[in-house]
Amino acid sequence: MDLSRRGFIKLTGAGLAVSSMGALGFGSAGTALAASVRPFKLTAATETRNTCTYCSVACGILIYSQGDRAKNVKSSVIHIEGDPDHPVNRGTLCPKGAGLLDIVRAPGRLTVPKYRAAGATEWKEVSWDFALDRIATLMKQDRDANFIAKNGAGATVNRWNTTGMLAASAASNEAAYVTFKWARALGMVTFDNQARV
Amino acid sequence: MRQGEVAPKAPWIGNPQGGVTAPAPIILPDPSTRFARTSGRLGVLAVDHPMAQWLEFLCELSQAQHDAADMIDVTGPDADDVATATDAGMPPLAADGHERDIVWREALTLVLRHFDRLPEVPDLVASVIDSLNEVDGDTLEYLANDFLSGNVAPEDAGRAVFIAAALQVYFTKLAATLDESQVHLLPERGLCPCCGSTPVAGVITASGSTPGVRYLYCSLCSTAWNHVRAVCITCGQSAHLSLKSVEGENGAVQVETCDDCHTYAKMLYVAKDPRLDPYADDLASLGLDLMVAEVGWLRHAPNPLLLA
Repeated sequence: MDLSRRGFIKLTGAGLAVSSMGALGFGSAGTALAASVRPFKLTAATETRNTCTYCSVACGILIYSQGDRAKNVKSSVIHIEGDPDHPVNRGTLCPKGAGLLDIVRAPGRLTVPKYRAAGATEWKEVSWDFALDRIATLMKQDRDANFIAKNGAGATVNRWNTTGMLAASAASNEAAYVTFKWARALGMVTFDNQARV
Repeated sequence: MRQGEVAPKAPWIGNPQGGVTAPAPIILPDPSTRFARTSGRLGVLAVDHPMAQWLEFLCELSQAQHDAADMIDVTGPDADDVATATDAGMPPLAADGHERDIVWREALTLVLRHFDRLPEVPDLVASVIDSLNEVDGDTLEYLANDFLSGNVAPEDAGRAVFIAAALQVYFTKLAATLDESQVHLLPERGLCPCCGSTPVAGVITASGSTPGVRYLYCSLCSTAWNHVRAVCITCGQSAHLSLKSVEGENGAVQVETCDDCHTYAKMLYVAKDPRLDPYADDLASLGLDLMVAEVGWLRHAPNPLLLA
């Protein structure tokens, strides 16, 4: 088969014997190399693009995690840096963003919903179902009690002034659009889809 | 300034972007350093390397390329032809369509002559050099066409190394005559904007005005072009990319494997080793290729000095 400078190629120890290397009489170098790498193992890391969680500037970040997301392997974040290709920050990060790895690994980081009943002193871990039901119930109660359908002049306004919402800095255009539509449909006026600097 | 104080009246001098700029899309090669750098680096890497003899040979070959690049004069393409090609989204020096000036054969002669001056040349290398010295111009042109179009007969594998070396010199000199502002990245970001060839490796910069960006280095004309990181250079997907390196090493040379197209390409991290040279380090890190191939990935394209 012809050799090509283009196209995929599988480089193997045996293949080196018939490569340019072998043709010039350096085949033994290839054999020595193949033997020398045998004791070594490969390590894998994954590079993932994301957006900094902090503010509305929404700097691009690259997150490195150990492992290649193979099954049964728990990956852990090992490094976070500014995304040099992101037009907003071109690889730079502010001191808060530069410390993102500590946020990921912070012992006090909230990773499950927790609930502290009125009067209780302890936070208790609860299921997502419980948390979402509870939030929905309280929102409905508040909305039923404070919803303003018409203003003083009798014009329809459909306002719900007593509850506000803050959504994420990392929301994509589409996610931001859907969030906005949802909040406004409920009559919510106090709403921001980005944290501010 | 403390709160309540009056702001200074002097005009603000400074860069509103704080010096943060977009990376240059294309960096044309400098033939006066390109091959010397590779040769110097190969010399360092060859020490105590399992493939020391092979790397020492390549070190001499790169030195020969440097001398040849120094001696030959290459006339650049017509500005109108460059504009026509780039307007059509084509590389102006497209390796398969470009009409070679016979000066590339001069480069080949100079490369071959370098080995005459060496005290000791392995027998097979010497016989390959002899066979190239004997053949006529037409045969050399056929060999060059075979190499550029990717149809090198296995029995020509040895000769192809020298043909590739001479063509690298020729195309590097040719690319250096272009005007950076007249060349544009191709829609196929994985291919060289000057000659349409595949890269040897990617380099993740660590200094300059845009540290951390990735440049791919052309296997033929040595042009470097910017390519977004964390995206497969072969298929453009990013969902199943992984960086692999040899356990216990400093991670200066890694491979980016893609499970969408099952290929990999080498990425060199200058932050881990500032002496890296894409051409030399790619050839010297062949062990990593073997390890990755064993686990089942295919390399995106060969290094032209190591066709297999």
